[in-house]
Amino acid sequence: MHSILAVDDSPSMRKMVSFTLTGAGYQVIEAVDGQDGYEKAQSHPIDLVLVDQNMPRLDGLGLTRLLREQPKYKTIPILILTTESSDQMKQAGRNAGATGWLVKPFDPVRLIEVIQKVIR
Amino acid sequence: MQTEPILPVGPVVQLPLMLVAELQDSLMVAMHDLSRLQSLLGHTMDNLMVRFNKVNLGLQAVDLPHVSAMDDVQSHLRAAVTELQFQDMASQLIVHTSLMLQDCAFRLASETMGQDEGEEPAPYATMVSDRPNPVTQSEMDAGSIEIF
Repeated sequence: MHSILAVDDSPSMRKMVSFTLTGAGYQVIEAVDGQDGYEKAQSHPIDLVLVDQNMPRLDGLGLTRLLREQPKYKTIPILILTTESSDQMKQAGRNAGATGWLVKPFDPVRLIEVIQKVIR
Repeated sequence: MQTEPILPVGPVVQLPLMLVAELQDSLMVAMHDLSRLQSLLGHTMDNLMVRFNKVNLGLQAVDLPHVSAMDDVQSHLRAAVTELQFQDMASQLIVHTSLMLQDCAFRLASETMGQDEGEEPAPYATMVSDRPNPVTQSEMDAGSIEIF
């Protein structure tokens, strides 16, 4: 079973992501912000990271950069799931090493399709 | 990013001190109302999630024959996942709007009343929200997906 790290400071978003992904057969590890996500990424085997952008302590781009510095996260897919939709922010995501940019709200069927496409 | 204070240019408008105080009070009331709205949304969302989970668990628990009506129910539940993300987006809008109102209140105080002796000047860099609104959506349609 693939493990997905879902990082979002909104409890309702974490619940929606978790509901969607567990229903599709994935194991979901939740983190409340980028810092918590970084710590959980060190203590759990992760196959994909789904991360919000605007969060306290450490944002999504910051977490992406930190993870990409680590050999084990060089090729793990990292998807940013955010309300931000400007080209400037997407470019920043690309520069940070993100695999893709998903604008909220997400459609569960499309989210699963994207994850199936990028996960190994 | 540091933001330079925007210095007034052109004609200067003078306002009575009482009017400025009343404007500040109104801004504070608006901020307080937004905070209550945030609480209401949070409470509503908690209740909705409990009901959503109960419906989902209830559907899993009963051994119903595979009929198209069940597919419809599952389809509606999946669709609700998109709409139930409203609280996250509304919450971000409220936070952004509250910061803008706070900026206005601080600017009013700073520009019209100045500082007391020994008081530090107001920190413009943290007051003025130069951050664009993080939420641009006006509907709850699913957002775009881009794979790099």
